[in-house]
Amino acid sequence: MSDWITITIDGQEIKAKNGELLTAAAARAGIDIPVFCSHPKLDPLGACRMCLVEQEGPRGKALVTACTTPVRDGAIFHYESEKAIDARQGTMELILINHPLDCPICDKGGECPLQNQALEHGTGKSHFWEEKRHKAKGYPLSDLVMLDQERCILCWRCIRYLQEWEDKPQLGLFHRGGETVVDKFPEGELDAYTSGSIIDICPVGALTNRLSRFSYRPWDIDRTPSICTHCAQGCNLIIDSRNNEVRRHVSRENMAVNDEWICDKGRFATGITKHPDRLQEPLARIDGKLQPVSWQEALQRVVTGLKTIVQRDGPDAVGALGSAKLSNEANYLLGKFMRGMVGTNNIDFREGAALLADPRGVPALADVREADLIVLMGSDPSEEMPVLANLIKRAAKRNGARLIIIHPRRIELAKYADVFLNPTPAEEVALFDALTRATMQARMEAGDEEIPDWLRETEEVESASVEALALAARLTMQAKNPFIVYGADYAWGFGARDIVGALTNWLITAGCEERLGFLHNQANAQGAGDMGILPDYLPGRSPISDRKARSAIETLWQTTLPTQPGLSYGGMIASARGRIKALYIMGSDPVGEKPADADSMKALEFLVVQDVFLTKTAQMADVVLPAASYIESAGTFTNTERRVQRAPQAVRPVGKSVADWAILMHLALRYDPAASAAWKTATISEVFAEIAQVAPMYADMSWENLGEQGQQWDREALPMGKRMHAYSGGSATPTDKRYPYRLVVSSLLWDGGTTFSATSEMAHLASRSARLHPHDAADLGLASGDLVEVLSVAGSIKLPLRVDDSIKPGTVFVPFSLPEAPVGTLFDSQGPRTNVAVLKAAS
Amino acid sequence: MLSDSARSEIQNLMAQYPRARSAILPALYVAQQEIGWLPDEAMDEIALLFGMEPAEVYAIAGFYNMFYKEPKGKFHLEICTNVPCMLRGSGNIADYLQERLGIGFGETTADGNFSLDHMECLGSCATGPVVFARRSQSAWGRYFENLTPGQVDVMLDELLLEDALPGEQTPARPYHHDHHPETNYLLARIDKPHSHKIETYLADGGYETARKALAMEPAEVIETVKKAGVRGRGGAGFPAGVKWGFIPKDIYPRYLVVNADESEPGTFKDRLILEFDPHQLLEGIICTSWAIQAHYAFVYVRGEYMFAQERMKTAIAEAKAKGFLGKGIFGSDFDLEVIIHSGAGAYICGEETALLSSLEGYRGHPRLKPPFPAVAGLYAKPTIVNNVETISHVRHVMEHGADWYRQWGTERSPGLQLISLSGQVKKPGVYEIPYGMTFRELIYDYAGGTVDDRPIKSIIPGGLSMPQILPDALDVGIDFESIVGAGSMLGSGGVIVICEGESIIPIARRAMSFYVEESCGKCTPCREGGSWMEKILKRIEAGEGTLEDLETMARVTKYIDQQSFCPFGPASVWGLQSTLRLFGDEYKDFILETNPNGHKPDIPVRPIYRADSGELHENLLDDATLAPLVP
Repeated sequence: MSDWITITIDGQEIKAKNGELLTAAAARAGIDIPVFCSHPKLDPLGACRMCLVEQEGPRGKALVTACTTPVRDGAIFHYESEKAIDARQGTMELILINHPLDCPICDKGGECPLQNQALEHGTGKSHFWEEKRHKAKGYPLSDLVMLDQERCILCWRCIRYLQEWEDKPQLGLFHRGGETVVDKFPEGELDAYTSGSIIDICPVGALTNRLSRFSYRPWDIDRTPSICTHCAQGCNLIIDSRNNEVRRHVSRENMAVNDEWICDKGRFATGITKHPDRLQEPLARIDGKLQPVSWQEALQRVVTGLKTIVQRDGPDAVGALGSAKLSNEANYLLGKFMRGMVGTNNIDFREGAALLADPRGVPALADVREADLIVLMGSDPSEEMPVLANLIKRAAKRNGARLIIIHPRRIELAKYADVFLNPTPAEEVALFDALTRATMQARMEAGDEEIPDWLRETEEVESASVEALALAARLTMQAKNPFIVYGADYAWGFGARDIVGALTNWLITAGCEERLGFLHNQANAQGAGDMGILPDYLPGRSPISDRKARSAIETLWQTTLPTQPGLSYGGMIASARGRIKALYIMGSDPVGEKPADADSMKALEFLVVQDVFLTKTAQMADVVLPAASYIESAGTFTNTERRVQRAPQAVRPVGKSVADWAILMHLALRYDPAASAAWKTATISEVFAEIAQVAPMYADMSWENLGEQGQQWDREALPMGKRMHAYSGGSATPTDKRYPYRLVVSSLLWDGGTTFSATSEMAHLASRSARLHPHDAADLGLASGDLVEVLSVAGSIKLPLRVDDSIKPGTVFVPFSLPEAPVGTLFDSQGPRTNVAVLKAAS
Repeated sequence: MLSDSARSEIQNLMAQYPRARSAILPALYVAQQEIGWLPDEAMDEIALLFGMEPAEVYAIAGFYNMFYKEPKGKFHLEICTNVPCMLRGSGNIADYLQERLGIGFGETTADGNFSLDHMECLGSCATGPVVFARRSQSAWGRYFENLTPGQVDVMLDELLLEDALPGEQTPARPYHHDHHPETNYLLARIDKPHSHKIETYLADGGYETARKALAMEPAEVIETVKKAGVRGRGGAGFPAGVKWGFIPKDIYPRYLVVNADESEPGTFKDRLILEFDPHQLLEGIICTSWAIQAHYAFVYVRGEYMFAQERMKTAIAEAKAKGFLGKGIFGSDFDLEVIIHSGAGAYICGEETALLSSLEGYRGHPRLKPPFPAVAGLYAKPTIVNNVETISHVRHVMEHGADWYRQWGTERSPGLQLISLSGQVKKPGVYEIPYGMTFRELIYDYAGGTVDDRPIKSIIPGGLSMPQILPDALDVGIDFESIVGAGSMLGSGGVIVICEGESIIPIARRAMSFYVEESCGKCTPCREGGSWMEKILKRIEAGEGTLEDLETMARVTKYIDQQSFCPFGPASVWGLQSTLRLFGDEYKDFILETNPNGHKPDIPVRPIYRADSGELHENLLDDATLAPLVP
């Protein structure tokens, strides 16, 4: 079908792909056939009749809709013929008769396809003397999207988007004929996580952004092509601002990353730049209280504080926490400062050393499109990466991709799964071993392999039937082009090493371990690792023991690097009452996540926090440095498929806040003015150029050549042999009668975290509850809405309960990022994979 | 909210179809029968049962007029006011009903006993005026035909007294076919007592033909039908055998869908077959299913034809009991299930692709062609959609052979044809005639001439959608080609006679109102243009027309005709265009008489509304959506 053929439009011969739609063929030849219902990302419909052209056929010329007409060799079309022009003018007249023509107060005015096409294809005169139809105006479909049914021209794009991409037809055509309207179910709400996409594709102003409407005119905005940093997909978007205020985010196409969609968090949760609680100026603890100081004084205090300790206790008494939410440049310079200037390897971030992530992330997100098998392990893209989730749904529904899901909750995508396995935490290793055994059995039937002894003794797994295991084994063995990922649920905390080992064993057995990747949650978790924010790795992911790599960096940085591995994130906090005397925390809030860590912070002699808000941790700091948010500063981010993308500065920083990387530059120059030759990167592109010198996989990149679609570093640049992994079992936390439930923790899209809460119009959407299976709730005499106490050996939190049948019996689900109930409180020494009890709490 | 029995009934219905979603209309009927209407909660519950979004169920229910989105009175009376009934005086009965009940259309009596609505064609054009009466909280509804004011009183009293609808309907038989019994095949048995029962059918040699066909090669059956030249009776006249031949090889399953959504105003022939000789249709279905190797045949019957559905269901049960349907029919290894699927009040579902959308459990929107149904139809599988009459002819062609069939009619329109004759003639009814017979013979010989022997003003030759022709075409033959020569089309064979003395403007307006009511709303020209035309015609009727309106109508109907998505668009304006062409002077005279100064209407100004502040608060909807100005 991809053969090139020749068609004729208005006497002009053009090359077209055999079978493609006439609209697409014409567009390539520069003929812009007007459309409304047609959209390149949606199935052809042919409803609006705007794209009429004449086609020559055996029985003479006939009007056809270009958006539904596949082109064949020799086909002859007339676009500018009198009849075709008249036809389009006729359709335009009919579209406009009931349209309110309220362009002057419509958000879409200025970027409205209807407005543009009325100008080009309308006659400029209406013969309609009747009263226009009246329908609902200014009508909320949800907290985020407004509908104006009078402006709607019934192109169905919104309905089709929700059907074809979300598989959630929450909007429909109601009534019929002239009374037809687009609407939602009266009791229902538009709550698909990418619902805002329908605003972008609406060809009129019928669907508008409820948060941003009436706050801009499309011709009076500054447009900054950027990316979203809410998750590690790195969806491309445009930040539209006016007078240095962010007005809205709209999606931007990047076929390798997000097609042309962004999720509602990326679109609507833009409040961070406007939040009244943003840090406006540096603070320093004077007389026991944090008080505003000048930047000079703040930085001087940092220099003095750190130097005092380094001189007294040595560099390893200082540590730093970087952040997976911040740019490569910020993280890189933090590492450079700590290693090159302070002289310690005590540097890590939350998703750093403790997370057993594949250092190369996933092979490529776009692999999902062509995958014949998708395997998701401990990852819930619907909540963690909604745009990817839609690509997965589409692959399953349209391309027949098979789907295997292994997750402690029955996640939304489970309904598309061929095999859904639902192991209780602590059951995973046994499950993956069973899969390995089933796969080996299948191999044995075909060949000569034998099941090794260590695998023979695995116990039965309750949550998997023999048939399911056999099917999963067969699907993985047969897959030619699989997309296989595991997520943080299986890569973090006690026992994770065995789980990752066990799942790797399975995939080695099935012969597809090369396709196994890790799906990060945080926007720059991949990049922070690439930048060497790890206690034992240098920028470029070389181990600190790699002498060659080390000396290359030493030359560039004009310094000597420490050679002993440093402490991890948890190690530094735990040592705060011992070896560690000072911490430099950038974009991280350990106390907010685990209040018990406040004791450690208190024990420090000197604490510096660099952040956008006065976090729980910042409140304990000796110096607080106000940072600009990513929208207010420039930087690059490396997404989970190793795509390095630019996020240029869109608006001015709030107050006296400064870009993270620039703060570090100033700090370093103050800390050691003599080192200015090694610290001379004055712009973001210079910092990035230095990164390209230090990290081999970034070698060919520059700020300029990243372009607007980013560049992916070559996965082969970091070869990772995978070996079968034997273990002795017993890695699961033993059951404990006092704490009969297994805790399940993961991220939800609507969370209670700072960046999301900063958008006040959305904050109420956050899911603030612990969840139990209905049976367990009934056993405990609990109902949805009851306040419950979830407690572990380590501590307890109080939350309202939500009864949810997607929760596995015997487990309790608590989301991350609830400031009023930080789930970290429950983590014992074994991290999140712990046992808990649930009690009804007195309110 | 639904009872356990309703839920299990719905689950049984879901199991009846190859895909459960097809049972959505039947399920909505079950819910409505139990509750009396469809509250949101019921739709929510049905959505859950089907695993659908509630919005989908709501969108579907909203498409079909027979589903009540608000409570109705105990009895719901709907009177047909469409053109054929209008010509038979339904306007008087409608007035009488409103007066008698003391309510207007769309209202319910204070005692909650009756709701009244006007209605589109009920397929009772020769026996109008007709009321379709339903008890809201039941699955049953029936026709009251040939109504006079006196019979309206009887009907109302009877309903109140019995507190129920009489279960058995004894419809008027609106046909007079004794003129030429030698051409009566489809109608041959209609007058017999118990003509619908299998015993009488078997006594007449029934099901022997099906037996015979099953002994033939499927290809032979197709060849016979092709050779006979049986043309589709749904309106387009496409040769059935040729259509069957389009089915791609080796793609299974295949489906037969019998289009019994007879809704074209002026057409009521299929209803007779369904009600009085259902077994001949079933036998035709068996022959056709064998020919195309389909194991499922769906008969999509319009929702108002409840009596016809009952008769068909009984006939299927009878045939099943005899082993003529179901597993291994006639002792062969051929399985055939016939499913009666009820529509729910949507004319567009007579269009074959819209019918398939509806049968799959969606709003009845037409689909893109190609692919044609024969290639990718129901559930995207090869599907033959044929009209009831077409399939019934197949049964007779298979009995008597292709040559027998071709002895009648013309070369290109061979055979016999059912004509539904209505309007102002003495004996309206269904006539089985050979193609090529003239309108004059039909109207003056078969039907005994016009009412009061008035001269004919105009003839609608093929159902309301077809362009009108003048009486100078009385000697034109009734066949596909001759009528095209006269400037119209045979369509579904519904001939409506309009006599001198009738004004053409109310007829054109009422016809347009029908298409506005029934437009599916998918494409711009039909949705927007249709209601525009209706508004203009109403304005002209009200004495506010201008001559410019005639130009506008001529221009805009051209767009609707040529630019619509499906055949409904053109069909909706051909009639109007023909009246503008044939009776242009009548329009002009009326406009000049009623609006001599050519005063143009005042363009209404949009009511002032206040955009909401964008703040989130509960009453936003009430606040922001100001009620439109009621004209």
